[in-house]
Amino acid sequence: MHFLGEVVSWFLSADNWSGVNGIPNRVWEHVQISVIATVIAAAIALPPALWLGHKRRGGFLAVAVVNIGRAIPSFAIMALFLPISIRLGLGLGFWPTLLALFALALPPIFTNTYTAVRDVDPSLVEAGRGMGLKEREVLRDIEAPMASPVIVAALRVSAVQVVATAPLAALVAWGGLGRYIVDGFAVRDNVRVLAGGILVALLSIGTELLLGALERRIVPHGLSRAAGELVPPPHG
Amino acid sequence: MRTNRNGFLGAILVVVFALLLTACGSGEETGTDNTTATTAGSETTETTAANTVTDGPTITIGSANFSENALVAEIYAQVLESAGYPVDRNLNVGNREIYAAALEDGGLDLVPEYVGSALSYLGGTPTSDSAATAKALSDAWADAGITVLDPAPAQDKNGIVVRQDTADELGLSKVSDLEGHNDLTFGGPPECPEREFCMIGLQDVYGLSFAAFMPLDVGGALTVAALEGDEIQVALLFTSDGVISAKGFVLLEDDKGLQPAENLTPVIRQEIVDAYGDSLVDTLNAVSAELTTAELSDMNRRIGIDGEDPEQVAADWIAANL
Repeated sequence: MHFLGEVVSWFLSADNWSGVNGIPNRVWEHVQISVIATVIAAAIALPPALWLGHKRRGGFLAVAVVNIGRAIPSFAIMALFLPISIRLGLGLGFWPTLLALFALALPPIFTNTYTAVRDVDPSLVEAGRGMGLKEREVLRDIEAPMASPVIVAALRVSAVQVVATAPLAALVAWGGLGRYIVDGFAVRDNVRVLAGGILVALLSIGTELLLGALERRIVPHGLSRAAGELVPPPHG
Repeated sequence: MRTNRNGFLGAILVVVFALLLTACGSGEETGTDNTTATTAGSETTETTAANTVTDGPTITIGSANFSENALVAEIYAQVLESAGYPVDRNLNVGNREIYAAALEDGGLDLVPEYVGSALSYLGGTPTSDSAATAKALSDAWADAGITVLDPAPAQDKNGIVVRQDTADELGLSKVSDLEGHNDLTFGGPPECPEREFCMIGLQDVYGLSFAAFMPLDVGGALTVAALEGDEIQVALLFTSDGVISAKGFVLLEDDKGLQPAENLTPVIRQEIVDAYGDSLVDTLNAVSAELTTAELSDMNRRIGIDGEDPEQVAADWIAANL
């Protein structure tokens, strides 16, 4: 396997481990934009989703949000926002990509959180109220923990999708692991393209494992992951 | 599920959002500059060479499958028609592999070519010297019964471009003027750092260095946006790109001859030249003598950016120049 041998030696080459175009810097850029996008999406999606789920209201919003997420390709968002970003003086690559990744991450988090909280067994919620818990305490102490397996699973799905989609950033002049794929393709360097693809895949798997570990810590014992209830994520 | 009842509302929301998006999109488009150069004479002013040429083979004019090449072929066609030659158009044939083969086997008689690319296609090595490259192309194609006429000054090749304000501020008119301005950022296609005719040549031939290189696209919208937005100060675009004319960018002269010559040149089957003689050659050479890169850029802008009709653009150019 001559080609795979070249890919291996690409990974072993010292040149590819230092400088702006080195693997550490590109991974760091990739992680940076992915984390920021996912955290902002979670911060914006979680509070209203928890509250609407608790009130068992706004189901149409949950459906609409996930449908919109499915309907608009990330690349279209980048292309639409790019001229605006330049006009606002925000530059080329980072902000358009961040917005696209944010829009990709938000729908699964919002919809799954909403659905999970809403679908908590009403008898448990009633029991809580019967014991004199305030509404906030019902949400905090009963509904949120009960819904936590689905919520954390949604965060995990969003994060993995964001990591796998962030290579698009290279198309609008930002860094990240997409640089290897885009630049490699431009000079027909298939070794570099595949190496970039492998790195993206590894980072996605790493994200999956890391958040899986987090899931096991956060989710209360006795609650098995209800992965089957997860609303399918939009296509990147 | 409860969401079933609300699915309808959700659908409406999605539709409204989609409409909003399209509204934004079309607003963006109509915002582009629509000023069209209104040239007076819409009809070609008939050149006097006259309708005397009646008997002889029909000249089938072909072109590559992009608008600039088809435009130049259209100019050839209109000029020959008004001089009385029987002309058949077969534009947008395909890429060089296709139209060059058609030219060699007689399916096409006349196409506009780019001297450097055509010479590379035939296995030669083009240089920045237009005349020498055209001569080499002529020699390379002679055996196949193809004649290369005079190259026009107009070229479509890699061009180093800056904004007008940058050019004014730093006094730039040639690529070598960039020497010493190491604080500028250069933007171009992602493959640029590894290409002789891009970053490597700029460093080795011109001795330039830039603050950074920004990987963008191949002479496309991203590069233009980056240059306009001052993300980059120096860009690689194609010399005849209509956007240079549209945005008022300044094309720096390749004074050290880094880029191989890509002059537009009529290439024609020898049997057609034999049939009609010097008057045909002179008619086409007269077109080449007048066609400049700036005019080509302007015509590309009218077609590609302003959406004008190529036949009209060709007729306007002929009226103004021949």
